[in-house]
Order: sequence, then C-alpha cells, then structure tokens
Amino acid sequence: MSAPSEALAAAPATPQARRLFSLSAPHAPSVHLFQTEQGRHLLVVNGSRLFDVDAEVFEALDRARLARDEGALQRQLEALGVSEAPFIDDQPVESPPVRALSLAVAQKCNLGCTYCYAQQGDFGGPARNMPLQTALEAVDLLLRDVGRGERVNLSFLGGEPLFNRSVIRAATQRAQEQARARGVSLTLSLTTNGTLLNAEDAGFLEEHGFAVTVSLDGLQETHDRLRAFKGGQGSFARVMENVAPLLSRQRRMQVSARVTVTPRNLALRETLDAFVDMGFHSVGFSPMLSSPTGRDELGHAELELMLEQMVDCGREFERRLIAGQRYPFSNMVNAMREIHKGTHRPYPCGAGAGYLGVSASGELAACHRFVGDEEGAMGDLATGVDRARQARWLSERHVHRQEPCRSCWARYMCSGGCHHEVIQRGRPACDYIRGWLHYCLEAYGRLSHARPDYFGLAPGG
Amino acid sequence: MKKLDPKNLSAQLHYRAAGNPPGTLPSSAISNCFPGLEFDFRNVWRRIFVGITLHEADNYVLDAEPHLERLVGHRLLRVDGQPLVVPVVGPQRPGADPIQLTTSTNPEGVTFMEWSNALAELLHTKAGKKVRCEFTLEKSPLPAAIPTDKKQLLVEELELRPFFARGEEGPLAVIAEELAGPGELTQGLCSPWQNDYRECACYYWAASRPDYVSVEQGPQGTSVGINWLQKDRGPEAPQQYVLDNREDSRLVSYDDLFRHWQESLHFQVEGRDQDVVTLPEGESRDERSK
Repeated sequence: MSAPSEALAAAPATPQARRLFSLSAPHAPSVHLFQTEQGRHLLVVNGSRLFDVDAEVFEALDRARLARDEGALQRQLEALGVSEAPFIDDQPVESPPVRALSLAVAQKCNLGCTYCYAQQGDFGGPARNMPLQTALEAVDLLLRDVGRGERVNLSFLGGEPLFNRSVIRAATQRAQEQARARGVSLTLSLTTNGTLLNAEDAGFLEEHGFAVTVSLDGLQETHDRLRAFKGGQGSFARVMENVAPLLSRQRRMQVSARVTVTPRNLALRETLDAFVDMGFHSVGFSPMLSSPTGRDELGHAELELMLEQMVDCGREFERRLIAGQRYPFSNMVNAMREIHKGTHRPYPCGAGAGYLGVSASGELAACHRFVGDEEGAMGDLATGVDRARQARWLSERHVHRQEPCRSCWARYMCSGGCHHEVIQRGRPACDYIRGWLHYCLEAYGRLSHARPDYFGLAPGG
Repeated sequence: MKKLDPKNLSAQLHYRAAGNPPGTLPSSAISNCFPGLEFDFRNVWRRIFVGITLHEADNYVLDAEPHLERLVGHRLLRVDGQPLVVPVVGPQRPGADPIQLTTSTNPEGVTFMEWSNALAELLHTKAGKKVRCEFTLEKSPLPAAIPTDKKQLLVEELELRPFFARGEEGPLAVIAEELAGPGELTQGLCSPWQNDYRECACYYWAASRPDYVSVEQGPQGTSVGINWLQKDRGPEAPQQYVLDNREDSRLVSYDDLFRHWQESLHFQVEGRDQDVVTLPEGESRDERSK
C-alpha cells in the first residue's frame, strides 16, 4: 500500500471527479444515460451505440435504470427499434494468428523506478540480453503465416531495449526484408527510457518510421524523483538532451511521451502542456495500479485527484479543438476516435491473442508485462504458441467471465482492464474508469456538435 | 419531436427506422448479388474503379473516361493479382466425372464472381490506392477466361475507390457518393417485383407459390398439369405444361405482368386457379368478383 501522499496532504477540491463518480455509477448493464449542453443522450451498451433522445425517452429509461428493471429496459429498447442480437457473444477468440510481438531485447535497466512491472528491468531474474538468433526466430514467427496486405507490428521493449541496440537493428532489417517480400505492412515501435538514445539512433528510428515511446513521469523535479538512475541521480536532463534531436527530426518517426501516474506526480495538466510544447507527437497518461512492491500504487482518493486532472486536460483538449489548435492529448484523441466508431470488444487488448511478448530467452508470454511470469506463459519460439494455454487464457479473460464487469455499462469500452493489473491487484479503479468514460461521452456529445468535421461528420449533422 | 437520433458510427450503421423490416439494412438486404426489394445494392460497384464504368453484376466495361476509352467492351479479369473469374466445373450428367462446363454463350466455361465478395479484401487494404487491373486484350461480349500468356492481357493501374464516404478522421457510416449518387441505388427498380413472378425459382419471396397447377393423374399414371403462367388455364385448356423459353407466346410475358399482373395471375388454392376470390364486403375493386 502507498503511504499518504504529499498530494493528498493538501488535497485540492475535486468537484468534477465527484460529479463524475456519481453520474457514472453502474445501474444497468444494458444502457447508460448522460446529459450535455446539447441535450440528452443514450448509450446502448450492446454495440456501443450512441443516440440523442428526447426528454420522454430519457426519463422513462432513467426510471427503469434506477429501479434496475432490466425487463422494462429491454422492452423500451425494443420499442425504440434499437434492440439487436448481442454484438459480442460468449465465444472466446479461437487460435488467433500472431500479428504483433514485443521483444524484451534487454532484460536489464539503468533506472531504478520503484513501481516498474519489470522489477527494475530484469523481471526478477538475472540481467540478460536477447541473443541475435532468438530475435530473428521471433521475427520469423511473426511473419511466418502472414498473408499479403495484412498488417503486423514488431516492438522492442525491455528493460531498456537500447542496451541491445545491435539486435534491434538486425531484427528490424530482417522484419523489413520479409515484410517487403510478402507484401505485408509492418509497423515498428520502441519503448525506451531515453537515457541511451544517441544521434545514430535518431537516424535509424526516423529512417524506419518507428513509433517511439519515451517514458517520462513529469517535469525535471518530479521525473527525477520517480525515474532516477540506479545510483540515485535524476535522469530528466539526460533524457531531454537525448530526445530533443528526435523531436526535431520527426517525419516518418513519431515520438510520444508516456506518463505513469503515481501519487507523486499528479500535476497532469502542467506535465501535458509542457510536453505538448516540446513537440511530442502525443502525450498519454496511465495510472499506476499495480507495482511488484505495492509502492506508488494509486488508491481511490488519488484516483479521484487523477480524474479531476484528466478532466482538466480533457477540457483544454475541447477548447483547443474548437479553436482549431493542435493538442495531442492521446487519452482524449483515442477516446474520441473509439467512441465515434462505437468500438465494443470482449478483451481490453490483444494480449494473449494476436499479441504476445517474447522474453530474452525466447519464451512466449501473454504480453510484455508477463515476461518470466508463469501466469501468462504461452509456449516458446522453438515449439510455437501453446494453443491449449492460449485457449484457456482467452476463455478465462473474456469480459463476460469478469466480475463485476458483467453488470457494468462500461464493459465493452473498458473490456475489464489490463489483464496484468487485474491478475496482480484486482479492479481498484472501476470508479475512475467509468468516471473518465462518462466525461469522454459528454465531451463527444459536445465536440460532435461543435466540430462535426473533426469526426468526418457533415456540419449541422 | 424525434424520439431517437443515432449519433456515432455503430449506431448509424445498425439503425433501422421504426417500421422498416430487417432487409432495409445493407448488411441484411437480399441484394448483394440480386436486385433487392428496397434497393439494388449491386449498383455501388459500377464506379468502384476511377475512370471506368462496369456492369453491376458482370466484369464487363460499359463505359470509360476518354483516356481509358480503349477498355470499353473489354472484361476485367484480375485485380491486384486476385482473379475475378473462375472455371465452372461439374458433371454433365448424373454419375459422370466433373468437367469444365461450356456452352455456346460461355465457350470458355467460366463464371464471374460477384463483386461484393471479390472485392471485400481489396477494399479493406487498398481503398484509395492504385491497383493493377488486367483486362482481356480484345473486346469480349462473351465471358472470358484468364489467359496464361501475359501478352494476351491489357494492364492498367486504376484507383480503387473507398466504399464508405470519408471525413477528416476516417470513414462515415454512409456509402461514398462517388459510388452511388442520389437515386442510383433504386434506379434499377422501376419494374421491380412483378418481374419476380417469372424470374425467381428458389429462396426468394416470389418463389413460395406453386408453378405446376391443376395437376391430375394421367392415363399412364404420371402427373399432367399446366404452368401457372400459361395464359389459358381454363377447364378447356390442353393439359400440356408449356416450358418457359422466354419467347413462347402461350405464357404471360413480362409486359403482361407489368400491365395487369393481378388479372393474369390468380390465387392458387389447393393447386387450382381461383379466378374469383370473395373479398370482404365493400373492399372489392375487382370487376370479376362483383
């Protein structure tokens, strides 16, 4: 458990978060209702379908929802003509082909972040680099059964992957050659702490159009507190010095900042504005919900502070979008895109399905976080994907098998949350997730009216 | 006031206005390979390639912009390496080995694969891009197979239009206007359902009626009866089934159906023509029932 944080000691008011916790409470599994300046809105959970509704419909649905009368809700949806067979059934995905791999090319790190899921880089084992042959075999697995025109992603993680630069380069080259020969569209990504990036890396990453994610936890003082070198000195100055040439060279390459939010870096808006001004392609926040030591995890009170900050950032996104200005707050950009499409899925990500992690010694895992963890073991490069374990995983991880998800309106948007965090710590952030989604639904209601062109909608439509 | 208005893409794609049957959604409409009742979905394929106009249900080039004029009358055989025609293979008589089935109007024994399925994957990956299109070298009024000699092909790089209209941030839930302008999806339905009495054999709405009527046992113990589309079906009509060769004037023509289907065709009750059907009091408009 985390100690009472500095942020909590002088807890600012959180009117937005409290309002959102209340409005987003889970009443009915089939619908959610919300209001904006533009009117009254209905989310039909089946298919993530959004409708504007009149006062009469809204109030009738609201009465049934608050009374938890699922029968009445179903009858009303039927009468409105929006009752459909379930878009998502109980069937797990079956033997999905491998379409994305992340290679833990270096299970070691020079930073000593307390909350790191990889336990300071080595996943609790001996520090090691992935041998070249292992990386090439992983590339072969990724591209073995891919058809023409299909898309695959290869990502490099660690630890700090740049400890094994030569293997990154060789694997990239092999993947590109095979992708070109097979007519496959390949995307490449690298997640780095930024301390080892050099000028040659910048050229290489730009040339191959990498999506580069740099872990940054705030401005200098904050970042240095959370992301210090193992010797104790701060890493911010070094990272920024290394990253600056990449930021100015972004053409094919995209350089994003990823902020892990702990009780010690809750000043999100200030962080976001600073990184946007520095020229990052996007800036995103994720809450620290589960660390191996329990240190720096967010509790309910801190998640309330985080939600207040996220909404502050979201409101600024709304203002800037309406003013026609760039503001790449990725949580919001992604939420608007997915809400607009009506994305609904039974799994939160591709982990254990089309996406797998590969350890330095060639074992396959459900994702990069499960490297070295028996819980997410999925076979190895020599014998291939363990289809029996994978089938069990996909069956057990389906959102219809999760509690309390089955009765929650947000289940096809959140899809049960990160498997790794849920398995480690359960679901401590449901109120936060629902509150954030409720805000995003409201923002979509406003923005689709104010900037229909942003969503591709006709003006006045 | 409207009670409900679909906003996001999934709501729009699946929205069915009150009172409309399921077949009014493109995903459940009949018309992916036949003209439907509400609209003829096939018309969206006519301009799927920039610069040429195709037949909605055939790989035949009907029209082209001036710079592609040389393609008119030719057939599109392959797109981005994917064949659009396949050999038709089957037994010619019961028990015989399967062979390639040719006829005088299909001498090469091939069939065109319907556009929706033939282009689905390409639309997913190549929409908005130029793709390699291979045509017959000569004008081809009859179906044509893909020649093995590449010199026998005419090659053009043509842009594949996206199926959905696009906004700045991605596709909308509406069909692109370049593919189907206002009215185009329904333009083939000027004489719609009356056709179906003649056209439809199985699995379609007009097929659920008997077409062999007034059936009796003949002297040899076999059945004798008449075609329900025969003009003369009275008690004195010869008990001879007239085969529909689409020309025999003893059968009701398309024109007859368009003009007076309700007089030409009658209800078939218990296998027999009922030329007088008693309607409830005050609702009859039919001269013969008065």
